Amino acid sequence: MSVWEIVELARHQDRPYSLDYIRRLAPDFIELHGDRLSADDPALVGGIGTWHDRTTLFLGHQKGRTLKERVARNWGMMHPEGYRKALRLAHHAAKFGFPIVSLIDTPGAYPGAGAEERGIAAAIATAIMEWFEISVPIVAAVIGEGGSGGALGMGVADRVIMLENSIYSVASPEAAASIVWRDNSRKVEAAEQLQLTSREIVAMGVVEEVVAEPQGSASTDYDAAARALDEALWRYMRPLLDQTPSQLLQQRYDRFRYIDSLVQAEPHFGPKID
Amino acid sequence: MAIIERHREEVAIQGAELPQILLPTNCPGCGLGLAGDELRANNYVCINCGHHFRLGADVWIQLIADGGSWQERWADVRSHDLLNWTVPKRYQETVETLLEEGLNESVRTGTCTLAGRPIWLATFDFGFVGGTLSIVAGERLARGMEQATSTGVPYVLVSASGGARMQEGVLALMQLAKVNATVGKMNAAGVPYFSILTDPTFGGTAASLALLGDINIAEPGAAIGFTGPRVIKQATYADLPAGFQSAEFQLAHGQVDMVVPRNELRPLLAHLLEMYP
Repeated sequence: MSVWEIVELARHQDRPYSLDYIRRLAPDFIELHGDRLSADDPALVGGIGTWHDRTTLFLGHQKGRTLKERVARNWGMMHPEGYRKALRLAHHAAKFGFPIVSLIDTPGAYPGAGAEERGIAAAIATAIMEWFEISVPIVAAVIGEGGSGGALGMGVADRVIMLENSIYSVASPEAAASIVWRDNSRKVEAAEQLQLTSREIVAMGVVEEVVAEPQGSASTDYDAAARALDEALWRYMRPLLDQTPSQLLQQRYDRFRYIDSLVQAEPHFGPKID
Repeated sequence: MAIIERHREEVAIQGAELPQILLPTNCPGCGLGLAGDELRANNYVCINCGHHFRLGADVWIQLIADGGSWQERWADVRSHDLLNWTVPKRYQETVETLLEEGLNESVRTGTCTLAGRPIWLATFDFGFVGGTLSIVAGERLARGMEQATSTGVPYVLVSASGGARMQEGVLALMQLAKVNATVGKMNAAGVPYFSILTDPTFGGTAASLALLGDINIAEPGAAIGFTGPRVIKQATYADLPAGFQSAEFQLAHGQVDMVVPRNELRPLLAHLLEMYP
């Protein structure tokens, strides 16, 4: 499969979205709404459900399948209110000791004037910083598109895994082409250069594991895809439940502080900290 | 700002001693023909219209640090072409050419004093691949913030950046988390963090440490935002009003604490360092 075919699979409208997984992982899922400041961002769903006999907070970008749904979900692109809602719910989970599962599936944060006016940059910055203070276990999974700061704003976790045909990138191939060539039609070349497939990302040490999808991709069998995701998420979550909050926070800090350790180990990177 | 008057004499920026920079023949703000020495003496702010010219890291270091106090750290940390990026130009070549031209990555950091008080200083350099946040930049920022945390020395950042560096892929994106984790450490330790946002500050840099200062200070007219105006227009077909994403726009929208002319910056920082000991 070519890199671009993987990008298309990751974005495919038949691919299971966050709610397709969450309802299979936790059939009693109850959605919770709103950032308690001004709005509820439908591009990010959040709520509680029973998962492996334990109340768990689920968060996930949500795309839509029909045009109407896509518009309503804003193609899974969050506004500032979405990040504020996610953090509100994360603090809620921390209060009650609920572990957190975060599903990532977004082209990026919303690139619109309204998002800018309401402080999208600061909302993402604050979210990324505050995830390091949430004292319950967090496991994140990239289930489709992991686009840029919009994805990372939901992706600071103790463990991060990726479904086989998902992508994770500093910018969408179109945006990268637009930045590097000033021509977003060169997206295929950009996708190849960016090394955004799950196998490339795991090789860089940025995620812990690539989760195999059913034959022919997750689109072909939602139940099997959800079982595979469930198994991997729980395998990473279960040992985290035994850790103290201070252990969790220290390890989360170290995970991202040294996430580029493969590069730092290169002799031409330069000396270690003195 | 009357409160900073008393600092003006002792910490005025010695513009005439700043390094020379490459200048257009006319001011992009008002079109006036530029006299280089006069402009330099005014800290590269147009005497006629107040346009603030973009400055490299070398000039910023001289603007902020007391003379002779700058001690650069980790200047020898070097990245390499980890993605084997070849088009439209080999990334390795791009980086090597810039190094030969005397630029040392998109962020330089070190210690200095300002009005006699020790600070950690980090400054972006827009001339190095658009001031993009790279692994080296993130590492220098994170190490400096860790040191500021352990010593309690205030941290001053000057940003000018297009965001995360495409040519380092997802590892460049991860720098947002790396530096924000260390900003969190400074917060926990009560270390003051003053963030100066200059033209332009966008993307992953705005969406990480640049907007997380205890006090965010923007330069007049600086463009600051997450998504650049070209991409917003492409994505939404919106007409963007004049002044959209300017420093003044961000002040009105609650994202920065103040918009401060460059000539007032050093006296202001000197006063803030007194108030946040």
